[in-house]
Amino acid sequence: MPGPFRRLEVILAAVIALFLQAPDTLAPAAVYAVKALPVVRATEAVKVDTLVSAPAQVADILRTFTGVQVKDYGGAGGLKTVNVRSLGSEHVGIFLDGIQVDNAQNMQVDLGRFSTDGLGSVSLYNAQKTSRLQTAKEYASGAAVHLESAVPEISGGRARLRGGSLGTVNPSVLWDQRLSRRLMLRTSADFLYSAGRYPYPYFDTTLVRENGDIRSLRLEAQLFGRVRGGSWQVRVYGYGSERGFPGPVIRRLSFPFSAERQADQDLFVQGGWTQEWTGRYTAAVRFKYANNYTHYNTHPEKNPMALPYNLHYRQQSGYFSLAQSLVLAGPWSVDLSTDIQHNALDSDVGQFVTPRRTTFTGALASRVVWQKFRAAAHIVYQGAWDTFDTPQAGGWSRSNTYRGSWMPSLSLFWAPLPWLEADAFVKRSYRLPSFNDLYYSLMGNANLVPEAALQAGADVRLAFRPGTWQLDLRISPYYNRVSNKIVAIPTLSQFRWTMLNVGLVDITGADVKASASWHSGPWRASWTLRYTFQQALDQTTPGSQTWGNQIPYIPRHSGSVTVGFGWKDLAFTWDSSFTGARWSRTANTPDYYLAPWSLSSAAVQYTLPFSERGARRAAAGRALLLGVTIDNVFNTPYQIVQGYPMPGLNAQLSATFRW
Amino acid sequence: MKKIWIFFTLGVLTLVACQKTFVQETPSKDADLKGTSVAVEEIGGNKKIFVLNEGQLGANNATLDFLRISDGQYVTGAFKKMNPGAKAGLGDVGNDIALHNNEVWMVINNSGLVEVVSAADETEMAVIEVPTPRAIAFDDKYAYVTSWAGAFADYTTITDSANPKGCVYRIDLSTKKLAGSVEVGYQPEGIAYYDGKLYVANSGGIASQLPPAYAYDNTVSIIDAKSFSVTKTVEVEINLKNVYADSQGHIFVTTLGNYAAVHSGLYMFPASAPEQVTHIEWHAIKHTHVSCSYVLGDEVFCIGTENEFDFGAAHTYMLWSYNAVKNKFTLYPVTLSGVPYGMCVVEDTMGFRSLLLGDAGDYFNPGTVSCYRLFDRHDKVWSVTAGVCPGHFAVWK
Repeated sequence: MPGPFRRLEVILAAVIALFLQAPDTLAPAAVYAVKALPVVRATEAVKVDTLVSAPAQVADILRTFTGVQVKDYGGAGGLKTVNVRSLGSEHVGIFLDGIQVDNAQNMQVDLGRFSTDGLGSVSLYNAQKTSRLQTAKEYASGAAVHLESAVPEISGGRARLRGGSLGTVNPSVLWDQRLSRRLMLRTSADFLYSAGRYPYPYFDTTLVRENGDIRSLRLEAQLFGRVRGGSWQVRVYGYGSERGFPGPVIRRLSFPFSAERQADQDLFVQGGWTQEWTGRYTAAVRFKYANNYTHYNTHPEKNPMALPYNLHYRQQSGYFSLAQSLVLAGPWSVDLSTDIQHNALDSDVGQFVTPRRTTFTGALASRVVWQKFRAAAHIVYQGAWDTFDTPQAGGWSRSNTYRGSWMPSLSLFWAPLPWLEADAFVKRSYRLPSFNDLYYSLMGNANLVPEAALQAGADVRLAFRPGTWQLDLRISPYYNRVSNKIVAIPTLSQFRWTMLNVGLVDITGADVKASASWHSGPWRASWTLRYTFQQALDQTTPGSQTWGNQIPYIPRHSGSVTVGFGWKDLAFTWDSSFTGARWSRTANTPDYYLAPWSLSSAAVQYTLPFSERGARRAAAGRALLLGVTIDNVFNTPYQIVQGYPMPGLNAQLSATFRW
Repeated sequence: MKKIWIFFTLGVLTLVACQKTFVQETPSKDADLKGTSVAVEEIGGNKKIFVLNEGQLGANNATLDFLRISDGQYVTGAFKKMNPGAKAGLGDVGNDIALHNNEVWMVINNSGLVEVVSAADETEMAVIEVPTPRAIAFDDKYAYVTSWAGAFADYTTITDSANPKGCVYRIDLSTKKLAGSVEVGYQPEGIAYYDGKLYVANSGGIASQLPPAYAYDNTVSIIDAKSFSVTKTVEVEINLKNVYADSQGHIFVTTLGNYAAVHSGLYMFPASAPEQVTHIEWHAIKHTHVSCSYVLGDEVFCIGTENEFDFGAAHTYMLWSYNAVKNKFTLYPVTLSGVPYGMCVVEDTMGFRSLLLGDAGDYFNPGTVSCYRLFDRHDKVWSVTAGVCPGHFAVWK
């Protein structure tokens, strides 16, 4: 074992011993190949099918995870983005079956648009995911949310009707069909309408949220195939929506807050093929083509306060990835992943510079995996070549820029005892400036460099299995530093802002998760406690009024308690979460103080098995599932983003027939 | 089985938030409001200097500050403190402030209203709803407010909802109610009154973003106050901002340029012959650019920076002025730092002048107001924390 590894292992052991008084015996690592073992486990992972009354949106699953903040503008149509451990949402990659869902225009991926239908699992990696055959972009992202399809095994289907408060109705259908011994077809459709009307406190009275309605239709087809030593899948996805933006709640007399509408049409085709060529060499190719069209209209004829914008955007991207993995010797493997992507954005907005970006990402990774000790390291190079129009005296000319960055990472894992494991990681990553950051008219700055994130963290996991009990505890301290943070800064007048790499944020925190579950005969019970501490301090300008203050919208303390219990085919969960005090500005003054709140929700599901087989194994057979979800049980008024009130008490009913 | 119920109870025990409350001072008298003490010896002879902080668009955090000369108190958030019943505060984006008959008139752009408060104690006197209002001027009967919206059905019909022109709304000073409007150019900004006529600067700031023309406006609309109709439209330069009139009928217009090829600047024409537009340039100094401006008497003060198309660079700013009556340029040797966002020049009883400069900082957090002597040492005398984007000043003599 190379010297530095040994030293780190010793340090790690000492730290663990200090915290847990565990005997610091360095058990000799058993030398046998365990290729599939992860070096770093997912921070959080859920199997969607195991949730009681699985929520319709991925965002509702993510908001329960430790260290995660879901920024939510309210209602079914409100933008929902996720940030992890105080890193901006731009640093959190969202991967659908390993392929990134991206948005070169503003780097905001709306998690409200992802249905949980057909998903097998949702997992979050704060550290580096270390499995083999990842795309290079998976290595290049700061934190990552992975949405994995459930690969169907048998023909069958599911029809579901959800609906309830806020004028929401959401029918969906999913159908799996075996086409041949090696080929499965999955098709699904999902329609959503939500009136989005809900009461909220407006200063000293109560108003109803207006212009927050949405209708959307999603159609999807997936083919899953198997070949000798490999598998492939192709997905065709179409999504159309039309929605209103209710606007921030501000002082107005008779004028409406907003009449803004947006229509979207998203289409993508993606696929992948993984093939084991020899016992040592495996390769995966993946591809994607995406075409997203957006029409935004402020409707000045309906709202005298509206600025007359009626704009159209079209984003296109093409992506190809080749990942190769070679087992060098027993526990030691190396991976080489190479991705190439092209992004294009067109619009009829004034002085639009029609940006194009070609990104190459290459990752070289290596893993050593023994049962008790594992290590992984990688280095990524990402180069992005942009071309765009530049205004010249008397016309336009085409300019280009190149941004390149190196991103290293190291992860270690050690399991000294059957009930104790620990891991640690350090990682540097960069996020490219978005097209809006660079080229937005009167604001963009084409000279930006990528925003850097340094992440370091450790996990200590304890697991006990006494009798029918499962007891788990995870403690995860971490440190992040975001530098060259891209911030909008004014210049000269209020009409001319620019984006600059000036921000510096120091983040120290810890996640704690404790869970216990128990079963006996028809009875099941589970209990999960999550707590997150985040101190995210502005370090931009020493001596300024904001230096050393908590950055906006990040609570120092947050947490939740979830209890679930079940008896035969009846399941119940209760979730109470707490979000501590926050500030809406970096100046942590009383004017910008946002009070803490706590929220509770409850869900019940009853599974009515139909067939003999189902009666024995309700999770798989033909069955009718009836569910009720009640959110914000105590009707607490709260805002995640200031000016955007969230719904009060609301309930959704669901009926699912599975065959 | 008992254990399950223990778990259940633990879960139901909703975590109780330890509510930290800040005590808001709500004195009944303006004189009881206390703020930061500053030196006011050199700006004596005035009663109060009001500062309207724009706030951030959508954040509903426009605030009114004032500096009381009698005791040198700089008080922040005075509107909310003196009007505890107005729960929504001053509103979203304060865009202009002016004094008229001991009343403070504030134009709250994204709340769509004009707020009138008493200059003596900041208590609300009237609220008038005007769509997307920008700036205000007065004659003895009316207040005139420029507005970007041509779509307010009560008074105007939409000529082109895809690229509507703006208008000027008239508010009757006795009833404090709207009394008509007149259509002007695209996105009107500043407005000034001189001798029966109103001069409106049209910017085209939004029109420049809209297809098919993508063009700034470059005109001043001249409105006859008596007939309340546009009598003449004069071409000046693209993207007009503020308008001032001096005592001898010189009309001054500042322009923002297009941030790429056309510089900002100061233009002038005589009220008697509006076609005779002059670009005010002084070749003894490097440039006559205008980031922000203010008029005191016949002197137009401008703060500008040389390399105004270089948005990544740190800028140094220069304070210069022009007096058309005396045909005199002045360069003030003050060193200005930060991001000048709004300004006013105050004169004390002896005629000594000081510059009050609003610095927007990062435009997100509260900015500062600083006082510079424009005589003697030309130095910074004090600096206080204001609200977010302190952009507009009004002096109550």
